[in-house]
Amino acid sequence: MSRDVLIRELRQIVGDRYVLTEKEDVIVYEQDASILQVMPEVVVLPADVGQVSAVVRAARRANVPIVPRGSGTGLAGGAVPAEGGIVLCLARMNRILEIDLKNRVAVVEPGVINIDVTKAVTKQGFFYAPDPSSQAACSIGGNVANNSGGPHTLAYGVTTNHVLAVEAVLDDGQAVWLGGRVADSPGYDLCGLFVGSEGTMGIVTKAAVRLMRTREAVQTLLAVFDRMEPATQTVVDITAAGIIPAALEMMDQLTIEAVEKGKPVGYPRDAAAVLLIELEGVREHTERAARLAEEICSRNGARQVRRAQSEAERQLLWKGRKEAFGALGALAPNYYVQDGVVPRSRLPEIMREVAEIGSRYRLRIANVFHAGDGNLHPNILFDMRVPGELDRVIEAGAAIVKACVAAGGSLTGEHGIGLEKKAYIGLLFNDDDLEAMARMRRAFDPDGRFNPAKVFPTPITCAEMRRQPAKIPAGLWI
Amino acid sequence: MNATIEQLAATLETALGSGSVTADASALASYNVDGKSPAIFCAPKDQDEVSAALRLCVEARAGVIPWGGGTAIRLGNIPRQADVILELKRLNKLIEHDDANLTASAQAGIKVVELQQILGQQRQFLPVEPPRPDLATIGGTAAANINGPRRMLYGGVRDLVIGMKVVLADGQQIKAGGKVVKNVAGYDMCKLFVGSLGTLGVITEVTFKMAPIPESAATLVATGPLSRGLQLVDQLMQSTLLPAAVAVVSAEATGVDSVRPAVAVRAEGFEDAVARHLRQAQELAGRMGLRAEVLREETHRSLWEQIRDFGSSGEAVAYRVTVPVASLADVVETIDRWSRSERAARFVAHAGSGTVWIASAADPAGAAWFPRLTALAKEQRGHAVMVAAPPEFKQGVDVWGAPPESLSIMREIKRQFDPHAILNPGRFIAGL
Repeated sequence: MSRDVLIRELRQIVGDRYVLTEKEDVIVYEQDASILQVMPEVVVLPADVGQVSAVVRAARRANVPIVPRGSGTGLAGGAVPAEGGIVLCLARMNRILEIDLKNRVAVVEPGVINIDVTKAVTKQGFFYAPDPSSQAACSIGGNVANNSGGPHTLAYGVTTNHVLAVEAVLDDGQAVWLGGRVADSPGYDLCGLFVGSEGTMGIVTKAAVRLMRTREAVQTLLAVFDRMEPATQTVVDITAAGIIPAALEMMDQLTIEAVEKGKPVGYPRDAAAVLLIELEGVREHTERAARLAEEICSRNGARQVRRAQSEAERQLLWKGRKEAFGALGALAPNYYVQDGVVPRSRLPEIMREVAEIGSRYRLRIANVFHAGDGNLHPNILFDMRVPGELDRVIEAGAAIVKACVAAGGSLTGEHGIGLEKKAYIGLLFNDDDLEAMARMRRAFDPDGRFNPAKVFPTPITCAEMRRQPAKIPAGLWI
Repeated sequence: MNATIEQLAATLETALGSGSVTADASALASYNVDGKSPAIFCAPKDQDEVSAALRLCVEARAGVIPWGGGTAIRLGNIPRQADVILELKRLNKLIEHDDANLTASAQAGIKVVELQQILGQQRQFLPVEPPRPDLATIGGTAAANINGPRRMLYGGVRDLVIGMKVVLADGQQIKAGGKVVKNVAGYDMCKLFVGSLGTLGVITEVTFKMAPIPESAATLVATGPLSRGLQLVDQLMQSTLLPAAVAVVSAEATGVDSVRPAVAVRAEGFEDAVARHLRQAQELAGRMGLRAEVLREETHRSLWEQIRDFGSSGEAVAYRVTVPVASLADVVETIDRWSRSERAARFVAHAGSGTVWIASAADPAGAAWFPRLTALAKEQRGHAVMVAAPPEFKQGVDVWGAPPESLSIMREIKRQFDPHAILNPGRFIAGL
């Protein structure tokens, strides 16, 4: 089938307006929030599951790849059309179809923005737990593809723990429900496999997600440290003491500097690190847990431990954290964020190693991350205009990832492998492990039509790949 | 099979050593699967030997029954072929307990009770509670997806398992997941093996998240008319309380009350938080006109052990019905009504997961439960599974119920991972 025939067919399926082929239209789809770019050939925006099915069938007949895309906030190049084909953007499928509070389930389309699920049920006393830092922009479909995390997944779990079932259009164009509305559906856990498959098994067209009851009490603490070491040790000690905070976040001195340079929230500028500790549950629990956490902080030499006395103060403490990523722009024109994970017990040593890598590559690294689950986000600061600097940044990023794996951790905690880390997946999994994953892939998508060249360490063949730091819109945070 | 039993036994013996393999019928007598007695027993000592044994079995096209503690062996359809018992008991070591990370790795054959003892030394535990932990192994618990009463607070097996080592049917040794609590590198292959009943590979090692042993724990038991008990459950679910478990038990299901049904509310955590749960649950129970009593220490532990073990010990027939949580009350009342009018059965219902376990005698009345439970579950968009039954009850039915619309993908997965169908052949859904 020629390109023109395919495009004509796509126009018939979704309407002329929703097939984009002109450079000025498709250029906004050439990149996600990673540093990788490929200009799409054609972008299609379906309105419903029937159209998704028809597009998948058309792509199959034309033998072209399909690259699903949600809001494009991914950080690993997962939505970049590395091998050309159709970029299938699900943003128009953004309806909340059903809210069943009695059963604590919402059924939503993939283009629904993460925070809108919680907003739809807040008044009734419920929330959707996974809260990726880009939650004001990222979509549920993208969250499902990447098994997204967020600050509050420490106590509540990541996306896979909150998705009961997905309706997905598979390689034959059929829409099939994977998983079920109740626990323990007989058969293989296809929903669990699909979540986190980065768009390589099919297209999510609906998701049934769990809603949780809003906790009756919350305590938020800010602990200030003069050295990094006792701050990381405090994270280890809090976990070891058996307290599972709802969130346990860390920011280092460089991040604090950036935040206070931009819109100050009152973090002490000379501190080496601050910890943001949030405890949720019944009142009697949070009260006691907060006291214990305060004791642990003090015992480790925290200069100051501040407990939010009001919702307004709590929001202020979080504001710095939420705006930290954007604030880094005050320190350097560009930054590149990594996503390694280590066992929590290894946090003190990995933070030393990250600092060492920074000096070895002559790069400044600002750390703002989910310390409670050992998920690092070292932001490597640089200037794109300096020749060769981006190469050094990527080398430093690789060194950090390798250090995390060597410490018994993982390449990525919540951003995914995508294009960005596929060359490194061999650090974690050998050929046999990856071959088993490939069997899964074949069971769902024998022709490799969905999001080719992602996850697996294959070379990219067709399209030309460019690297360019993404222009992250204001208000996005990681 | 394309080799004789003697030939296969001999090659296995060469690979594993003579002490690890036997074809002696008397030694195999206790390894019966739905009335089928495999002819060979082998007990590899490590993952390499599991791999060697599977390679020989696939060559011989022998049906392999992976065996942990045997506590879930009654689950599943009657196997099409059962030639070799592959026992994992010798893979019984703790690999690593990283208590500061709240994770641990253990070989598949370690008994759950032994594992809990080791973890308990650091005041931690694995919040998965299979029946008969003195026999059940961690690998078997993961393979059969056995969840305990406290799932509503701590999550289920699929949430707690973060890493695995598995030997595939052709002997290929793979690793899935890792040792960190947050990890999205590659596909989440642990999900493939949790609950797959050993039909895709043999689990040899499991890494899981743990929880700290709570400083305090107690139970409020409210007894009285079932409808009021169910109202109490509804009120609890609507409250902001976070109980560790809420179970509705029929009369005689546990030792708690031989005449009336009861609701058991388990609270654990800091002492003040436990007191608050008990106080509020007691008030609610009082308002419903239920008689409430607090159980601590031994009586508390013993009740939850009975609830955990319900339907697993010697019962002739056991069913599991799972429905959306808001439908649980209707389903429980229906089951109670049937039980009193025609078919005596006992039940335990878990409010957090919408699961009801039903146990009855192995008589025609017991067999008649399955179609009715299946219809009842379907009405509520749930499902019913025949969890344990004598082989004659399993003839001609799929114990897993009607297959889902995604069956063709499941078939393809089975074909990819076990093309010669040697692992637990036929025991899984739709005869996979």
